[in-house]
Amino acid sequence: MSDNTVILEEPIASVLKAPLEEQYVPGHRTCGGCGPALAYRLIAKAAGPNTIFLGPTGCMYVANTSYVCVPFAVPWMHTQITDGGGVASGVEAAYQAMIRKGKYKGDFPNIIVMGGDGGTSDIGLQAVSGAMYRNHDLLVISYDNESYANTGIQVSPMTPYGAATSFTPPGITIPEAKKFWPKDLTALIYYGHPMVKYVANATIGYPVDLMNKVRKALNKKGASFIHVHSACPKGWRFDASRTIEMAKLAIQTGMWINYEIDEGKKKLDHVPTKMKPVEEYLKTQGRFNHLRAEDVQKIQRFVDSKVAEARPVAARAV
Amino acid sequence: MKGEKKFLAGLAAVAEAAKLADVDVISSFPIRPYTGLMVDLSLKVANGELDAEFVHAEGEHGQLAIVHGASASGARTMTGSSGVGVTYAFETYSPISGGRCPVQMVIADRTLDPPGDFGSEHSDVLCARDQGWIMGWAETPQEALDNTLIYYRLGEDKRVALPQFNCQDGYFVSHIPGDVVVPEQSQVNEFLPPYKLDKPLDPLRPYGHGPQIYSDQGPVLELQRAIVMDKAKEIIPGIMDDFKRIFGRKYDPFIEDYNPNNAEVCLFINGAHAHTARYAIANLKSQGVNLALCKLRFVRPWATDEIAEALSRYKVVGVIETNNSFGVAREAGVFTPEVAATLYDLPENKRPMLISFMAGLGGEAIRLKDFYFMAKKLINTAQRKKLEKPVYWIGFEEDEEDLTF
Amino acid sequence: MSKPKIPKEKQLPEGLIVDCPKTEQEQMTTGGWRILRSVIDQDECTHCRVCWINCPDAAISVDESGDMKINLKYCKGCGICAATCTVGAISRVPELDFDEVVVYRDLPY
Repeated sequence: MSDNTVILEEPIASVLKAPLEEQYVPGHRTCGGCGPALAYRLIAKAAGPNTIFLGPTGCMYVANTSYVCVPFAVPWMHTQITDGGGVASGVEAAYQAMIRKGKYKGDFPNIIVMGGDGGTSDIGLQAVSGAMYRNHDLLVISYDNESYANTGIQVSPMTPYGAATSFTPPGITIPEAKKFWPKDLTALIYYGHPMVKYVANATIGYPVDLMNKVRKALNKKGASFIHVHSACPKGWRFDASRTIEMAKLAIQTGMWINYEIDEGKKKLDHVPTKMKPVEEYLKTQGRFNHLRAEDVQKIQRFVDSKVAEARPVAARAV
Repeated sequence: MKGEKKFLAGLAAVAEAAKLADVDVISSFPIRPYTGLMVDLSLKVANGELDAEFVHAEGEHGQLAIVHGASASGARTMTGSSGVGVTYAFETYSPISGGRCPVQMVIADRTLDPPGDFGSEHSDVLCARDQGWIMGWAETPQEALDNTLIYYRLGEDKRVALPQFNCQDGYFVSHIPGDVVVPEQSQVNEFLPPYKLDKPLDPLRPYGHGPQIYSDQGPVLELQRAIVMDKAKEIIPGIMDDFKRIFGRKYDPFIEDYNPNNAEVCLFINGAHAHTARYAIANLKSQGVNLALCKLRFVRPWATDEIAEALSRYKVVGVIETNNSFGVAREAGVFTPEVAATLYDLPENKRPMLISFMAGLGGEAIRLKDFYFMAKKLINTAQRKKLEKPVYWIGFEEDEEDLTF
Repeated sequence: MSKPKIPKEKQLPEGLIVDCPKTEQEQMTTGGWRILRSVIDQDECTHCRVCWINCPDAAISVDESGDMKINLKYCKGCGICAATCTVGAISRVPELDFDEVVVYRDLPY
């Protein structure tokens, strides 16, 4: 491993202490209120200028770089939706070799893959797994808007049970619309790849927590993974102004659980003292309009078991 | 001639060249028959002979992704594959070419599934001939070593900046050893400058690689790629001259025009079976039969003018197809339509008749008697001044046993 | 074989490798998307910066005097700032109520 890794100062104490510099600047065609765009901004801000981003095809590629221009103040490269993890591994290997052989005189860069849920849990899973298994010194972000959003909100393995998408419309044959339960991507990455030291769940609803998790991950030598819940007004069907509200509601109902596993120590974050019923989350989003009472109960049972499974080691109350 | 004499198979020769070229990043994945290249390279890296990152990719698609990222960051890269591994990585070829990353992929070719057939055939990488990569075959281990250096020099030239398929026949070249002169490092340093990218992925000088475009910007980028492929054709002869000057070995730039006996008929061939063909030509000469050979050195860029000029001297040309393209025009393989297009603009009195021979498919050797059969068909066609039929499938023709001329 | 020349106005960088912006990407101004404009009541504002951190477009910045300022060239009017302001100091006003045209775009897309 290169000794040139620059250690980012950490942690950021509060919003007021967050760096003012933007590495993800204004001027991109993401939807108004786009959760993934906010995630990108916060992650770029936390990572700072010594960063290379890899952008697999998805909303954060197409919407950000339409047309012939980029909103990134740091180097960035487009990858296929299939190979974000692979291309990033190559960038990492190149810098390891070039620095060691004296062909590059600068510091080892932060290397971050900004993949969507499809590009990290589905079509891109193999490449991400390869990168994690080989423990390249990089960070894979899964900005999870719970669908293949860029192509028009199609179902992905991260789409919640019961969510309508354009491949899972509700109807008489499948009244619950989506009948598969989502993959547990963070667990899959952590428990499946023994060299990975750091994984986390984060959300745009808690920006300082997200930024600190990014810095912690980047300061680790080796592969890290952060799964960022990124509310999507278009896909989930709610008014764009409520993006942060949705992110927080997911935490308050247990539909999203924030945690990190740092060198074997698991810590839950933002655990509500009392969970709100999932119905409060489901009723705010048009993609769940068709749910019957029995579907809501199924979702509640699933969330309850996930919350129980989480077995907090140490929790910070919200 | 400077350099060390060794007895090496084609893949081992490429590994020697990779070491001399000081490759920075290598991505591996096993598939027959090219695997030996990666075994060799992993040893060189492990024992400190070559300082490179040897990355175990999770599949061929991953291999290409890795060298794509590495090349865009400024590293000299090598990867490789065979058969269905080549087609598995297919998605990546156009992005790498359009991204102008001069990655080198070593191909020990192999018949495509179904079902499993480890034998050599050119089809696997020929599928990718439209993707904007330099492509050519080596006939011997020496040529394989030399092509490695030549392709890096060509692909990394700033006027070109294209990836390359460095191909060799599976088993016939990749595994059968031959005499190889391994050049000295000083010679390679003179011939091959270090890889320097204008706008790499580098936080000290940030650039964005590959934003989305609007459809009317598509033609511009594609014309740019067509222009640089043309540019590659322009600079290849100069590179071959330089190669001769430094290493003492002369290679024809685009085709090897082998006509020692002033023949009127010619076999057009790609790949290692040309080796057998030359023996066939010598044997036929002793029987009073004259046959020529035109061996392709670069599939891409295809040197239309040079090939047309060379073939215009013959009455009949027989294209040997060690590949398949089911349902293609004239129902032979991939090269027949390309040769036909090449000959199309020749004046009628200079345009040879064209027949095709499906030979060497599945990894079968093309035997001397197959070449005698092909020569017979060429000569009969020339005498009759018309085609008996356009395509012959060697091994299935009823009159293959009768080899009287 | 010779190829046609690419006229200067159609030219694109080789390999489509483009420059990175420093503080804004002017080729993609999105202020014209707004239906509602967010307006900050500077007297009510406590400078907590919650609006600034939550803007997906980085369209809110801290100016020299420490006040929060909305960049009308890029603000899409999504309303997250108004929804998350800790003291309710941001109101959303119909864009057409304002006289000045902030962004005029002559691009076809």
